[in-house]
Amino acid sequence: MATSPIPDLDTTPRRRGAGWELWRGLIGRGARLFAGLRQTWRRSLQVRVVTITLVASSLLVGGFAYLIADKITSILLDNAKTDVQLRVTSGAEYAAKQFSLYSQPQEAQFQETVDGTVNYLAGGDPQQTSGVVVAITAENNAGVIEARTSPAVDVRPLISPELRAAVAGGNVANQIRTGRVTADGAATKYLVYGSPVPTRFGQVELYYFVPLTLEDATAGQARDTVVATGVALVLLLGLLAALVTRLVVTPVRVAARTAQRLSAGLLDQRMAVNGEDDLALLAASFNQMATNLQRQILRLEEMSRLQRRFTSDVSHELRTPLTTVRMAADLIFAERDEFDPAVARSAELLQAELDRFEELLTDLLEISRFDAGFAVLDAEPTDVVPVVHRVVDRLSGLAERVGVAIELDVPSAPVIAEIDPRRVERVLRNLVGNAVEHGEGRPVRITLGMDDTAVALTVRDHGVGLKPGEEKLVFNRFWRADPSRARQTGGTGLGLSISLEDARLHGGWLEAWGAPGQGAQFRLTLPARAGDRLTTSPLRLVPADATVPFGGAPGGGLLAIGPGPDGALAVGPAPAGPERHAEVGS
Amino acid sequence: MRQRLLGGVLGGALVLAVSAGCGIPNRTDVQIEQRGPAAETGWSSGRGSEPPSRTASGKDAEAFVRNFLAAAAGEPDRAYERVKQYIAVADRPRLQEKQGSEVALSVVRLTDDPVIETGADSMKVTITVQQVGLLRANGMLVPPLATESTYEFRLISGGPAGQDDGGFYVADPPNVLLLSDEALRRYYQAESIYFWNSERTALVADQRYLSSAVPAERRVSEVIRWLTAGPSEWLRVGMSGLPDRTEMINNATGADGRWEVNLDMPGADENRLKQFGIQLAWSLQELDGTLEIKILNQSRRVIDLGEYRSFLAPDRVDNSALRFCVYEGAIHPLALAGESAGAVPVAAGANRNVVSAGLRRAGDDEILAALVVAGEDGRQRLTVGRGRDQVEVFTPGADDHAAIGRPVWIRSVDGRSYGLVVADNKLYRFDDQAAMRQVQLGLSGRVSAVAAALDGHRIALIVGGALHVAAISWEGGVPTIGPARRLVTSLVNPTAVDWAGESRLVVAGSAGRPAIYDVSVDGALETTLREDAGAEVTHLAAYPSTPLAGSFMYEANGVAYRSNPFERIQREQVQDVTPPPAGVRPGNPTAPFFLY
Repeated sequence: MATSPIPDLDTTPRRRGAGWELWRGLIGRGARLFAGLRQTWRRSLQVRVVTITLVASSLLVGGFAYLIADKITSILLDNAKTDVQLRVTSGAEYAAKQFSLYSQPQEAQFQETVDGTVNYLAGGDPQQTSGVVVAITAENNAGVIEARTSPAVDVRPLISPELRAAVAGGNVANQIRTGRVTADGAATKYLVYGSPVPTRFGQVELYYFVPLTLEDATAGQARDTVVATGVALVLLLGLLAALVTRLVVTPVRVAARTAQRLSAGLLDQRMAVNGEDDLALLAASFNQMATNLQRQILRLEEMSRLQRRFTSDVSHELRTPLTTVRMAADLIFAERDEFDPAVARSAELLQAELDRFEELLTDLLEISRFDAGFAVLDAEPTDVVPVVHRVVDRLSGLAERVGVAIELDVPSAPVIAEIDPRRVERVLRNLVGNAVEHGEGRPVRITLGMDDTAVALTVRDHGVGLKPGEEKLVFNRFWRADPSRARQTGGTGLGLSISLEDARLHGGWLEAWGAPGQGAQFRLTLPARAGDRLTTSPLRLVPADATVPFGGAPGGGLLAIGPGPDGALAVGPAPAGPERHAEVGS
Repeated sequence: MRQRLLGGVLGGALVLAVSAGCGIPNRTDVQIEQRGPAAETGWSSGRGSEPPSRTASGKDAEAFVRNFLAAAAGEPDRAYERVKQYIAVADRPRLQEKQGSEVALSVVRLTDDPVIETGADSMKVTITVQQVGLLRANGMLVPPLATESTYEFRLISGGPAGQDDGGFYVADPPNVLLLSDEALRRYYQAESIYFWNSERTALVADQRYLSSAVPAERRVSEVIRWLTAGPSEWLRVGMSGLPDRTEMINNATGADGRWEVNLDMPGADENRLKQFGIQLAWSLQELDGTLEIKILNQSRRVIDLGEYRSFLAPDRVDNSALRFCVYEGAIHPLALAGESAGAVPVAAGANRNVVSAGLRRAGDDEILAALVVAGEDGRQRLTVGRGRDQVEVFTPGADDHAAIGRPVWIRSVDGRSYGLVVADNKLYRFDDQAAMRQVQLGLSGRVSAVAAALDGHRIALIVGGALHVAAISWEGGVPTIGPARRLVTSLVNPTAVDWAGESRLVVAGSAGRPAIYDVSVDGALETTLREDAGAEVTHLAAYPSTPLAGSFMYEANGVAYRSNPFERIQREQVQDVTPPPAGVRPGNPTAPFFLY
């Protein structure tokens, strides 16, 4: 009994680990390759056309090649079979005549006759082999009659038991078998044909073994020719498809590139027009379209420029008379106690409206500066915390007046970021001012947050809030939540627009959230280093205390699905943290 | 790059698909085409008789011995097997087997009944035999090689102790296959096959033995094998066989009057084929119909056996068989009942002092005559003449002899005729000018008789008290006697011989008493024709062909006898004689002979 070696237990996990690594590596490479192929497939029309052509033509040509090769082979085989069948029939007749002289297998000379018959049927000279082997066997008299073969080789392996049974059962049957008849010979395909030979004491069997070397070689040559032709044809078709596609795709690519350049602002890009074909028509049409677009765009640009210029000019032109009016108004206001009360009241109104007018002009000039692209960021590393405190201090008076408490959630440590403090302060002042104004007496909370890449500020109020869709509208110029409401309270309607422009100038975001009855929250996110690109914000836009619509996460935050108590599924707000985010207004 | 890769992949797939789908498969299922020809069984071939089995004799020891001596009969391949059935198991290995053509049966003639001595647990058998010949596998009976005259073996009881019905077994068997002449006669048929003489002008018969066990269908094959093997040894001089390396390819096949034989015959031209056809037609005498001769599978000639037989008559004689005898020194015709008597073809002037005579027809009405004439001094001289209807002119021989036997004509070649005669116990050749030349036989002993076969190629001789046969070759038109073959007969001291047929001799000798036997040309088969001839036969003449085939006449003690029925030839049957004067005792007709 054999003993099996004890397996080395230590090596198995190591090997598995290495194998696992290799497997993972392979999987990874495969996935990458697949992704690459998929990308190529999706991106290249030429690859698709050529691939489809190759696949379709391969199937077609392969089918035809198969049919032709199969037909040639079957014709060759049929010819060989017919040939051998004739030989077998006449051979069996001859053998039957020869054996009919004997009434018993034991009879003298019967074995000699068997030998002679086999030799005769094999062509007389056993040395002169044409490869054909003739054999006579006696299944029913195996003990008495020795099987003979000419040439004397061992053909028993070539006669399968099924063929033996079929012939012994009195049938003429054939089969193709592969084997070698001599020890040193090569394996050859043989067409084995068997026929019963009647004798007076039963039957013996006559077998012909005809080598199919020639037929095989011919079939192989035919097949090779067909395959070579087919492969050449398929490749040619592929090449043709590639060429044709290339003819079509190249102008399309040029058009695409040109369109890309056009969209990038290079309005004078045009396609080359060659010839008069469809592609030339396409190019010409494209060029015409580009020309029209360019003209239109230039016209619109000019109009826009004129408009902005007009605004700026109007603002400037208004400022000079306003200064004069202001001076006169200041004088009247200072002397108001000397007028009768109605006039004094008018003087106060005049003063107030003039303040607003001045403010409006200032904002308009600021906006037009942004529009003209003259705004310049004056970034320097600044601690944001004092900026917040400064704004709160400034507005504390107003807040006390309307009875709104301002809560601060500011880190004790300095929060340093490369910002323009003047602009940030203006934005914050605007946001806090808005929050105090709309706070309806409820507290306003200012939160400052920071991480490695960004600084964020949120201003939360609990006023009437925003209706769905208003989060974006609030940044529009002169937008009001309720148009019917008179513009009594301060503000010019441009504050949030300017704030948004300031945030953009920093490369930051300014976003709003609001829900009816739940107040609103604005968030300013700025990159910690000027020029960096923002990806996330340290603070959440949606406040944590907001209720979830439809029973979802509070404030429309992310929903987390996970195991709950008692094995049930629990749906609840996702844990707070950096979140995905969509930039608004850019 | 990617497209090329894709193309490669698709091309590979195409190649694979076509390769896998086409081409000659390595192996297919068995495809059955049709029913093959069905085996026909039950058609009996009418096999001949076979020797009896071991137990056929029962408790009869002598019958068992005779059966044992017949056991080898049959097809030679299985002779050893059959004989070993008779031999006790323990002793079977002592019989050394030979294979194929080396198998030969020793044909013996029992000179006495087997001597059986009963011992304690076995019986001792002693048989006394005469070695007749060796029957080879090819049917030829050749002169014996063995010299044993007795064989001894023991018989043991075959069955278990206490039971006798198991028959016997032979213990200590002789180390040869024995075949008695009885068995040879019973289980074999003597067949005549024919060979052309050297000049290819005539066919000469040769004898073979065919086992009765050989079915009729194989006879043609056997005969052709015999023909390709050539004539018997003693006949080789003067015969021409088939071309060297002539072989039959497989067996001759056919039935119902249509036969086919395939031969490998180098140098087979049309003439040779025709001659071969005639040879075959004669050798297959009882066969009618057609036989197709193929040379190396090419059909060359279809012969009608009957027609080809008629192309050549091997020395048949016409129907005019005439008997003559010598009466009172002259040749006289004999007139037997139912037979016509002819005229003496010897001129009356020469028909004197005749002791014996040999007459023979040669061609168109020509008659050859050789007379032994006694001179005044009692010495004898040969005179020879030839002529039409009647021989007028005789040429006397130069020498005289004390005693000259009956002269026999052999044959006439190119106008010259030759004969043989025994004179003073020497054999002489003579021609139609009566020139006698002694013939050297290579045998020591006195020549006492000579007889020539009808074909002119074989002679029978009695030399040194033994019967011989020999072939004649005609070299340069002159007959030369080839080596003689001694025949073993049970007759001792043969005194006279003549040919009674193609392959039969009539021999007079002594078997205790003077007797006349019919002996086959190889000496194996004997038939007693006359057990008691009364006295030593001094003169014997037989007629070898129809219509009197087998008839013979002889002279013993100065009295002539005839056969069929055996009776003395009366003086009254001698024609053209003048009745002797009263008181004178009439002479007896002597030296009877046939003219043919």
